[in-house]
Amino acid sequence: MPLEYQIADRTLDNGLRVIVSEDHSVPNVTVNLWVNVGSRHEVEGRTGFAHLFEHLMFQGSRNVPSGEHFAALMAAGGRLNATTWFDRTNYFETVPRGAMALALWLEADRHGHLLDAVNQENLDNQRDVVKEEKRQRYDNVPYGNALVDIYAATFPKGHPYHHATIGSMEDLDAASVEDVHEFFRRYYGPNNTVLTLVGDLTPDEGFAAAEQYFGPLPATAAASRGPVEPLAALSEPQRVERIEDVPSDRLHVAFRLPVDDTPEFFASSLATDIIGGLSTSRLYQRLVRHDQIANSVSAQAMGFVDGVSLGFMVIDVADGCSADAVEAATCEELVRFAAEGPTDIEMESAMAQTERGWLSSLASQEERADHICHHVALQGDTGHINTFLDRLGEVTAAQVQQAATRWLMPRSRAVVAYLKQDGAAQ
Amino acid sequence: MTQQQSMAQRETLTRQKGAIERPAVSPPEPWSFPQAQRAALANGLGVVSYDIPGQYVISVRLAVPMPLDREPRDREGIGTIMARTLDEGTARHTAEEFAELLERKGIALGAGVSDSGLSVDLDVSKRHLSEALDLLSQAVREPVFPAKEVSRHVKTRLAEIDQERALPGQRAALEFISTYFDADERASRPSAGTKATISAITPQDLVAFHATSVVPTGATVVVAGDLSGVDVVSEIEAALGSWSGTAADVAEPREAARAVDAGRIVFLDRPGSVQTEFYVGCPGPDRGVEGGWAPYQVLGFVVGGSPNARIDAVLREDKGFTYGIRSGFRPRRRGGVFLTSGSVRADSTVEALGLLLEILDRAREGFTEDETQAGVDFIGKTAPGRFATADTVADEAASLSLEGLTTEFTTANLRALADVDAAALTEAYGRYVSGEWTVVVVGDASLYAEGVRGLARGEVTVLPA
Repeated sequence: MPLEYQIADRTLDNGLRVIVSEDHSVPNVTVNLWVNVGSRHEVEGRTGFAHLFEHLMFQGSRNVPSGEHFAALMAAGGRLNATTWFDRTNYFETVPRGAMALALWLEADRHGHLLDAVNQENLDNQRDVVKEEKRQRYDNVPYGNALVDIYAATFPKGHPYHHATIGSMEDLDAASVEDVHEFFRRYYGPNNTVLTLVGDLTPDEGFAAAEQYFGPLPATAAASRGPVEPLAALSEPQRVERIEDVPSDRLHVAFRLPVDDTPEFFASSLATDIIGGLSTSRLYQRLVRHDQIANSVSAQAMGFVDGVSLGFMVIDVADGCSADAVEAATCEELVRFAAEGPTDIEMESAMAQTERGWLSSLASQEERADHICHHVALQGDTGHINTFLDRLGEVTAAQVQQAATRWLMPRSRAVVAYLKQDGAAQ
Repeated sequence: MTQQQSMAQRETLTRQKGAIERPAVSPPEPWSFPQAQRAALANGLGVVSYDIPGQYVISVRLAVPMPLDREPRDREGIGTIMARTLDEGTARHTAEEFAELLERKGIALGAGVSDSGLSVDLDVSKRHLSEALDLLSQAVREPVFPAKEVSRHVKTRLAEIDQERALPGQRAALEFISTYFDADERASRPSAGTKATISAITPQDLVAFHATSVVPTGATVVVAGDLSGVDVVSEIEAALGSWSGTAADVAEPREAARAVDAGRIVFLDRPGSVQTEFYVGCPGPDRGVEGGWAPYQVLGFVVGGSPNARIDAVLREDKGFTYGIRSGFRPRRRGGVFLTSGSVRADSTVEALGLLLEILDRAREGFTEDETQAGVDFIGKTAPGRFATADTVADEAASLSLEGLTTEFTTANLRALADVDAAALTEAYGRYVSGEWTVVVVGDASLYAEGVRGLARGEVTVLPA
């Protein structure tokens, strides 16, 4: 279906790409910045650094005391945060229109002049906070490190996606104030950043405000590297087995997929949905409904830019059933799907669910701004939010089958199995 | 650099230092919650709609009052199993056929129960709204609860219980309700049932429970989204107009009693934990509280709603013990609970719990005008964004309907924020927070239980997690 969100685009003299999407439905403006640096840029011995750095962006800058960024914007009616991922780091706030200038001033101060405020004390404090984030989300919960294992099993050592964004405790401990300075100088600067403004403003207002606050910043970031060489599908299965105190056996079956924002990635993403994502998926029908050897199946495709993407299924093995049997049945279904290709109904379903999901995510200014920044920062495409569904709609059943044959065969799987200890309480 | 600076140099420095003035914030324009259109069908079903232009996915929420204490004691969790099996086989379609009908139109259909009722949630692109409402209607009115599907969902729920026990946050929440509420109260036991009560549920139980619970009288359907060209009442009439049924008598809601020995600490031993989970609570009000609900929303923010709130200013930003601890007043149909929860580094357990309880207690001494204003501004000025999408509007309307309220409450509550000052916060907090805390700690008891006892904050019971 045709979408017509307004998009206006300008690049400032210092290289800052500015996108304005006018939408007066709510008296707010979303300010969203994507910096083209993520954990894929981290070097050995400094995993987790891009994320730790992101925390420091809230600890003050030249004209802003520590904590003031959150305090000032929240008191003005702002909702804000930042996230770090493999490919990028983003910073965002949604504020009443009258606080947009303040938001841009605060962002420009930290994106231009962070280092004036960085010191050992706030590095140590945020290092501690990040370590608690890691313990809370990864180390103190069952299956918490499954994703870390998936990345390591699917991508070779030294590859940008081999290690998780959260990094390791040892590397977090090793991070120094000097590292912060070096990282900021290399990666932060208007020429490595995209700013998107969505909401109750005109393009002229947005461009003028961007120029006013970001215009004076020099183009300090070093030239960014190009993407690394593409990876083919795994040539033989990989396996990681963890025998742990988990409540039930869980299998993660992962695959390399093609680079994001390509017809082949879209096809592999639809194949992933049809195999394991829909409530009518091949694996749900087989494992959960018919054989009743699994309690749940989910699947997702994560698009990346550095030569490869990731798809994986998560399967909870039913009590008293064999994880090996679940894996064998999963492999059978993968082979069957690659041989048969999708049915018309499966294609219709995967397209329809993707469409609703996409429209739902565009429903909020926040997510719309994020999608815009994403595709401008990583693909240079300002029109993505309006054209994605049409591009997806061009993917054929034959392409989906071809993607499954190339990327989603049993020989190309990386299995991460979390298994109950023998004799563990039922 | 020498002390002799040229004018040009000085000017450059001056410009750099104060380069760009910090801009002032101009006040937001007045805002009110999206306008509701209301109607009622002859069968007693209320229809509420919100036209929100540009929201292309329509959110439909059917809220059916169904207090949890109506569940038979030996079949607790039956509401949850019923909600999960509504679309697993109906008079006209098998479970698989039904799933296919939903997926082909990109429909998301889900259902769940809360303390006060059943909510059936539907999200669909506008062009498939009619078909989606027809499927919702079939799921709500014509479920047949096939034995095979029921037993599968029972097994899945049993596995889910094991999963919940393994997660420290959920484990803490379950222990909290059983410690906090009197054992005779339904609220003291898991909403979705225990292994014993779930295992006993049969398809016949579900048929009987459904017949007396899922009825139109008193129920509300909310439709939100871009409704231009949609005749909402006709659509709902076509889908649900002939729905009928009589509910068992609904008792007037009452406040669940707190256990007489609730003011104590339960330490659940989870050996080897690298963090310790806290769940701390005391009584709080419901939305109908005298003096208004607004101060309690502000209190949640000021005490534990941001990195600068009282708790995280100390435990996160000063001490680095936690990724974040959150507080909030959680209203129930009658009465409520003031809850604080989060996790801390294991070796900080004793110090962190001492500090946390001290911060919560000392808040009774009062709040400053500055922090009050920051909280009032945050709650009030974020409202347009918090209620900007179809799903958030529909969720708010549906959950309020189960409390017997409309979104007029939301609007009035936002207006009432204007009158909240530091004295009002202090009074509101002191009215409920007596210092008698129910505390659940999930962590390594062999290392930290003695230290927690040493805090002398109440009797400490150590139990296996």
